[in-house]
Amino acid sequence: MSSWLAHTITQAETVSDWLSPKRAASLELLKNTTWPSRKTEAWKYTPINVIERANFTPDSTPATVASDIPNLNAINLVFIDGIFDAQASANQFPEGLTITSLDTADNNDWALESFTQTKPDRHFFGLINDTLATQGSIIDVSADAVIDQPIRIVQSFNSGSQSHTRIIMRVGKNARACVIEQLEGNELCLNTSFAEYQICDGATLEHYRLAMQCQQAISVGGCHFKLGHSAHLNSNLIGFGSQLSRVDMDIIHAGENSDAKLNVIYLLDGKEIFDLHSCIEHTQPNGTSEQNVRCIVADHANAIFNGRIHIHRDAQKILAEMNNRNLLMSPNAQVNTKPELEIYADDVRCAHGATMAEIDEGAMFYLQSRGISRTDAQVLLSFGFINELVDLMNNAAVAEWLRPQLRARFAAMEIR
Amino acid sequence: MLKINNLHASVAENNIIKGLNLTINAGEVHAIMGPNGAGKSTLSYALTGRDNYQVTQGSALLDGKDLLDLEVEERASAGLFLAFQYPVEIPGVSNMEFLKASVDAQRKARDLEALTSSEFLKRAKAACKQVNLPLSFLKRGVNEGFSGGEKKRNEIMQMILLEPKLSILDESDSGLDIDALKVVAEGINSQRDGQRSFLVITHYQRLLDYIKPDYVHVLADGKIVKSGGPELALELEAQGYAWLESYDRTAQDED
Repeated sequence: MSSWLAHTITQAETVSDWLSPKRAASLELLKNTTWPSRKTEAWKYTPINVIERANFTPDSTPATVASDIPNLNAINLVFIDGIFDAQASANQFPEGLTITSLDTADNNDWALESFTQTKPDRHFFGLINDTLATQGSIIDVSADAVIDQPIRIVQSFNSGSQSHTRIIMRVGKNARACVIEQLEGNELCLNTSFAEYQICDGATLEHYRLAMQCQQAISVGGCHFKLGHSAHLNSNLIGFGSQLSRVDMDIIHAGENSDAKLNVIYLLDGKEIFDLHSCIEHTQPNGTSEQNVRCIVADHANAIFNGRIHIHRDAQKILAEMNNRNLLMSPNAQVNTKPELEIYADDVRCAHGATMAEIDEGAMFYLQSRGISRTDAQVLLSFGFINELVDLMNNAAVAEWLRPQLRARFAAMEIR
Repeated sequence: MLKINNLHASVAENNIIKGLNLTINAGEVHAIMGPNGAGKSTLSYALTGRDNYQVTQGSALLDGKDLLDLEVEERASAGLFLAFQYPVEIPGVSNMEFLKASVDAQRKARDLEALTSSEFLKRAKAACKQVNLPLSFLKRGVNEGFSGGEKKRNEIMQMILLEPKLSILDESDSGLDIDALKVVAEGINSQRDGQRSFLVITHYQRLLDYIKPDYVHVLADGKIVKSGGPELALELEAQGYAWLESYDRTAQDED
């Protein structure tokens, strides 16, 4: 067994709070799970031995706070190194919205019941998060409430920190809400950040996960959604790679007529790794799901996308689409993409496609014919390739904030 | 201005342009008409330098400079513009960003000072209004979701902003209703200043009601087979291109 894992388990055994009954089950599972290796299918392309080798020594430099998103006017929930910062966070909420810090939420019935219900047990680091996440937020949107202000959960991570946070959210019947998970940090640190979202019948959740940790950061996390009857989810994941970045997105269609969109952009440079595993479970009929995953990989970076769509036997009339497009900027850049379709219903439409995008020569000629050099045209077109998904974002403030950052990161990448 | 001499061009080893000669002087408007497959679009792509359009013989000088030696973008900066028959949709790249990049690149290539953002915006807005497109089109992806007519107007907007010496308009009238046709024609006419030249490629005489050409040429089987004044367009409209066959035969007989 890994010494880091052994230490983690010892630590987990000392955790005692209102979630302990649930944590115990996960701890048992964790004890019976082996440390993932390259032979473990879910970690085939993503080595995690960096965790073993890393020396997490908190340093004394003042903690950095994550960057602001101008014009967002959000309800802020601030975490620094995984610890809730009540002072920097909102404490007044609009009607219909209740937010409680996980460490002070004693015996919150629905939260206790929801904990570990949406996130599948197969996620190794999810189990670790189950046992150790004593910090986080419990967010409840009551039925029919429309919360216009986005809820921004912002986490910054500093050198040497190890942290585990959990979000448990319920969007009540016919309610609407928007959540932005923002994660930042470049230094060597480790965090697991998992979120479970229950989107009740007729409810709508607009969701962003801005996984913008890079360089030395080690970040493993997931967002797990359960959709009720006629529920809607519009989720956006933006990732910068780091020495280890892994996100698992599970979308479970538990009610009929539910609809989910997942748009993903990741931009990797250097030796960064970004690994996305998505899993769409259609358990009920008449649902739709659409995934667009776009990725630009430069230098020696490695992008992984494993997209699973599982259509259950009685889930007829499903429309499920999955599209993964990748742009390689250098001969040493790597993309590992794998669609995994399991379809047990016979009256469904399920389409998937994965491409290593070449620059479209028609578009290239069009730009050049206007005087733009081939190099500049390549930059325009490549950036356009990801910007197309930014254009689809409903939240203009997030889109405006993202564009220059994506542009700057893209500009720094070398075309070889 | 433009002097094309004995141009031969092929696509995928099929000879399409077979010895074309054409001279356009400064300030002139020439129209090229001809049946499908005559080589009209091939001519425009060969001149602008599209991949796979191989020039096998001849020369094409723009103000004395041989276009055929230049890269695609250098031809543009030298003052050549092509209004595409089928403008390309580029989602994710805003029209504004595209226009700015084009103008910046060409000004730089001509050693002109870069326009300030506000000056550029002013010009872009004016051009947008001139072709009757809502200003929101500047923010949209290049041609993304534009109707056929909007795409053509967007081409004219680019022409207005780039101020080319020679504009080739490849079937800029196709797919347009009469109002859009007028907008496109007016856009072109507004650019006629006695210096800039135009090569209008069209199937129909209709466009030429609005843009008065100085010369009309008939392109058939890769060559200009007949040239004349505006009246030639009317003749073609009335008679179609069928008579070209007999014309060809006569020509061969004369050989």
